[in-house]
Amino acid sequence: MDTYRPQHLKSALQLLKAGKGRYLMIAGGTNMIPDLRAKAIRPKAFIDISRFKNLSYIKEEKKEIRIGALTTISKLADSNTIQLFALPLSQAAQQLGNPLVRNRATIGGNLADASPAADTAPPLLALEARVVMMREGAKERSVAIDQFFLGPNQTRLRRDEMIKEIIFSKVSPHAKTAYFKLGLRNSMAISIISIALLLEMEGTFCKKARIGLGAVAPFPMRAYRTEEMLTEEEVTERLLEACGQTVREEIDPISDIRASKEYRTEMVSVLLKRLIRQIAFQQPV
Amino acid sequence: MKKDQTYWVKIHINGEWKRAEVFPEETLLHVLREKLGHTEVKEGCGKGDCGACAVLLNGEPVNACLTLALQADQQKVVTVRGLGTPDRPHPLQESFVKRGAIQCGFCSAGMIVSAKGLLDKNPKPSREEIKRAISGNLCRCTGYQKIIEAIEEAAYKLRTDPKP
Amino acid sequence: MNDKEELRIIGKPIPRHDAWEKALGLTPYAADFSLPNMLYAKVLRSRHPSANILSIDTRKADRLKGVRAVLTAKDVPRNESVTRFGQTHTVGGGFEGLYRVLADKKVHYMGEADALVAEETEAIAEKAIELIQVEYEPLPGVYDPLEAMKPDAPPVQEGRSNIITHYEVVRGDVNRGFAEAEVIVENTYRVPFVDHAYLEPESGVAWVDENGVITIRVSTQVIEHFRGIADILNLPHNRVRVIGTYVGGGFGGKEDITVEAFLALLTFKTGRPVKLTYTREESILSHSKRHPYVMEYKTGAKRDGRLVALQARLVSDAGAYVYLSPWVLLYSMVDATGPYRIPHVRVDGYTVLTHNTFTSANRGFGAPQVCFAYESQMDELARRLRMDPAEIRKINYLNKGESLATGQVLHHTVALQETTERTVKAFGEKRPSSGTLKMGRGIASGMTSYGRMVFLHDTSRSHVSIEMDGSVIIRAGVQDIGGGQASSLCQIVAEVLGVPLEDIRIYIADTALTPFAGTTTATRQLYMSGNATLMAAQEIKKTLLRKASEMLHLELENLDLVDREVVEKGGEKRLPLKEVIRACASDGLPLYHVALFKAPFRNLAQFERIEGEVFPDFTYGTHGAEVAVDEETGKVQVLKIISCFDVGRAINRLSVEGQMEGGGIYGMGYALTEEVLLKEGITMTPSFSEYLLPTSMDVPSLETILIESGDGVGPFGAKGIGEPSVCSVAPAIANAVFDAIGVRIYDLPLTPEKILKALREKRNG
Repeated sequence: MDTYRPQHLKSALQLLKAGKGRYLMIAGGTNMIPDLRAKAIRPKAFIDISRFKNLSYIKEEKKEIRIGALTTISKLADSNTIQLFALPLSQAAQQLGNPLVRNRATIGGNLADASPAADTAPPLLALEARVVMMREGAKERSVAIDQFFLGPNQTRLRRDEMIKEIIFSKVSPHAKTAYFKLGLRNSMAISIISIALLLEMEGTFCKKARIGLGAVAPFPMRAYRTEEMLTEEEVTERLLEACGQTVREEIDPISDIRASKEYRTEMVSVLLKRLIRQIAFQQPV
Repeated sequence: MKKDQTYWVKIHINGEWKRAEVFPEETLLHVLREKLGHTEVKEGCGKGDCGACAVLLNGEPVNACLTLALQADQQKVVTVRGLGTPDRPHPLQESFVKRGAIQCGFCSAGMIVSAKGLLDKNPKPSREEIKRAISGNLCRCTGYQKIIEAIEEAAYKLRTDPKP
Repeated sequence: MNDKEELRIIGKPIPRHDAWEKALGLTPYAADFSLPNMLYAKVLRSRHPSANILSIDTRKADRLKGVRAVLTAKDVPRNESVTRFGQTHTVGGGFEGLYRVLADKKVHYMGEADALVAEETEAIAEKAIELIQVEYEPLPGVYDPLEAMKPDAPPVQEGRSNIITHYEVVRGDVNRGFAEAEVIVENTYRVPFVDHAYLEPESGVAWVDENGVITIRVSTQVIEHFRGIADILNLPHNRVRVIGTYVGGGFGGKEDITVEAFLALLTFKTGRPVKLTYTREESILSHSKRHPYVMEYKTGAKRDGRLVALQARLVSDAGAYVYLSPWVLLYSMVDATGPYRIPHVRVDGYTVLTHNTFTSANRGFGAPQVCFAYESQMDELARRLRMDPAEIRKINYLNKGESLATGQVLHHTVALQETTERTVKAFGEKRPSSGTLKMGRGIASGMTSYGRMVFLHDTSRSHVSIEMDGSVIIRAGVQDIGGGQASSLCQIVAEVLGVPLEDIRIYIADTALTPFAGTTTATRQLYMSGNATLMAAQEIKKTLLRKASEMLHLELENLDLVDREVVEKGGEKRLPLKEVIRACASDGLPLYHVALFKAPFRNLAQFERIEGEVFPDFTYGTHGAEVAVDEETGKVQVLKIISCFDVGRAINRLSVEGQMEGGGIYGMGYALTEEVLLKEGITMTPSFSEYLLPTSMDVPSLETILIESGDGVGPFGAKGIGEPSVCSVAPAIANAVFDAIGVRIYDLPLTPEKILKALREKRNG
């Protein structure tokens, strides 16, 4: 195998196109290198983009936050901006992998790898983020993140395309958020399930709900029906029970070495209710 | 058999530039150990699950097994040997020894590096922050207790009596 | 040996001599060593747990450029031997088993080695492995020991029953006992395969030295495998030398031959140095595991809590090869009742071959498994009788002078009353449950032997010498696996010879150059090598003081060695040590001594019914655990682990605490997250992503309480702590979980799913 270390983004994109899918972009490498070791991937060459500083940024604009694809998970975890305006993303970043991995892994890599358990995905889903993609010889395009994932390790990225940045609106001061990752231990744990929740509340009246779920379907997903159930409704225990039931029906988990699908289903229901209670009734988790 | 492509890298390791001929897919861990004589960087699992291979890359603790050697080209790497010598050990090394934080010692190099990364960023870490900073470093012998105590002690020493 | 005098170095929290090198990154572990002209080895491992090998075609691999050797079973001079695992003489007891270097006509477990290659580079070695073509014919396999015991089960090893061994322990009459019992608790407990998960994968380098001696520098707990290696090569024993490195964790997993045989063969065939290091996946796949057990327990007691009867049936999964399975089972048999007074006992134990990964030694060696069972039983009894868990135990703990069900009299202090009282006290204020988070506390006690079984003629030797300038060299075959095995010997010598630790150097673990100290297993090194080293140092001290008494005209009894001097006790006269040494040297007196420590020997008449003394002594202790269980998710967070042990005497306080803390977490992993999941013989947890060890963010606060009765059989009255520190952790946690949520889980690990399932059944049932 070979490697390319392009100096400029344009060359990187040209190489990606020329490679016809056999050249793989590598940034942090925290998924790619183990995949290589396990012979799960056999690229003809790497295109090393790890040092493109101009794709590593967290920009606060008037209404939006823009995060460059090569921003490391540590930077996300340490960022005051993200903590202020995208708390669930900050929380997810703090719990992804372990501190050593976080120093190398990137948000772009986490999304492009598209594990059904990708930690940054549920918060970005709840934030209704857009993924901006670029490729050689075409204009940038963006896709809503809930359209970005197609299946386990499959996304809308064309084989000659890479993620440029992720954009989302700042969480309004009226909105409350919550995040929970369930793992078998407190660090270095692949999610059994993860939930990111964003609710716009007026007292105990829910005006808007966004629910991002991880590890309970072939790809990270929104729980649309459950969201609808909560929208423009007074949050009561009865409503919570109904939500707990509906979300079970929306998901499509598998059984694997970490958990059975029954357990995942039960946990989404239990933990979603818990998080909603936490927000609506100011209860500790 | 076709000869595989190789490249030369120049890495600044523990204060000096070193060169090596590497394969594209070769990890920093492999090159440090096999080509540059840095066997203090350990391989415990080869895929980022144990932290035994932790080194400082431009000051940040990373798994050397998850970094390609080419990605460290022209970059600064510090291993545990770069933190202190027998004549002038780093306070972390001293505390690890004095507090019994080392049993079999295989995790120690990576553990001390992660601790150094923490203290460089946060000179007064809480116990929780210490636990978090080393949560990518597995230890099978000590139960982590004395490691945490050693890091606390070293942090205190560095704050109250920093050596140049 | 109960020395009440003020000790200068023994008992102090002293940094270990090997710790500095490790902190500085200077210690050369096995994989850190290389020689010029060295080849890299790789092992081809079977892809089926049970299969015929129809053919192995190595031609493509042979033709690869850079290939130096491709070996299969036919290339091994003696591929199979009936090995007396762990023994130097035969003692019977079914302790022999087949050791096979490379699979020949059949594979018996997934990961069994089928072929070896040695190549110029690792990459070529990997390629060569890929090019070897093996034709397998999968066969039906048996993966459950209970199934494998049945008469129609496929035999795992040709021509023999799957049941390797059956032991029994009988005392009184259990039927009578149960008839007298006023409450009976009956349960079946299961514990899984677990991995030692040492951070350092198996590794070594071998070469042929200038004398034609095959030299193997390897991470091992047993350098004395050199004899078995020599037999494999049909060489005399003095043509194989093993040098043990500082081991990056052993825990019993490096007790059997790992890479040594492969390295020896490849260097023998190629004449060049060869290095072999396992990947983590290879290590999890192919090295020994802890024995899973199915344990049926029936315990009967009176209403006042006194135990009257215990009946148990233990079945352990030996995996595909015998290895140390009969021994592990024997330990379990002796420990099966726990440290309790029970008039009527019957225990039947079986260890059974299956097509799973072979099982062998793992820290505790059969004690943790039964401890989970008997301490859960005690807890359930306490609940049934509405008694305090500590009280019911205290009523039943054995005392010094009483005997186990096997008839072994406990000659040394049994400190369990105290360990339990102090553990309970250390809990402090109870934290209240809140919402779905339920708090619970549990205790469990254990008895774990230290020192090997007394019929094994165990010995250890230590060579101590003092140089002309007063510096000291120790030479001992001891293998240091991180528990301070080497360091403790330095401390003992420092104490006896009155020299500071920095004046002492130690050479360890070389079959050619250091006197044999036996294995680093069975928590025996401090006891055996500690005593041998103590004896050797005392001989030298005698020689020095005798000469000094001449020189000073003082009685021998009035002299001591302190701080590099001979001093008059309570007086003014002193002499520099160097002067006395010189005087001894002039007179031709020996300034060294090789001491042999022999463990007291007892014969075991037969090995069907275990009766009499099996172990020299036990270490007793209690664990306390405080947990928070989330009733909705089933997750258990351990908040605190208290370990209280009678360690006899703490030679190095930091080391002892370190063992107790480390053992606490080793046991916590066993309780909560660790399982090598084997499905039809296939490992489903191949790496550290699936096999989950506790991280720093999982560990509770660890409190260690040391009791020093001085009544151990080790030097200065020390007992061993390496293995005892593990055994009672899992049941303490399981008992705490019961306390928190009122359900008991009967199999480890206590996963969230199991806990939820049990809670659901409780609600419905």
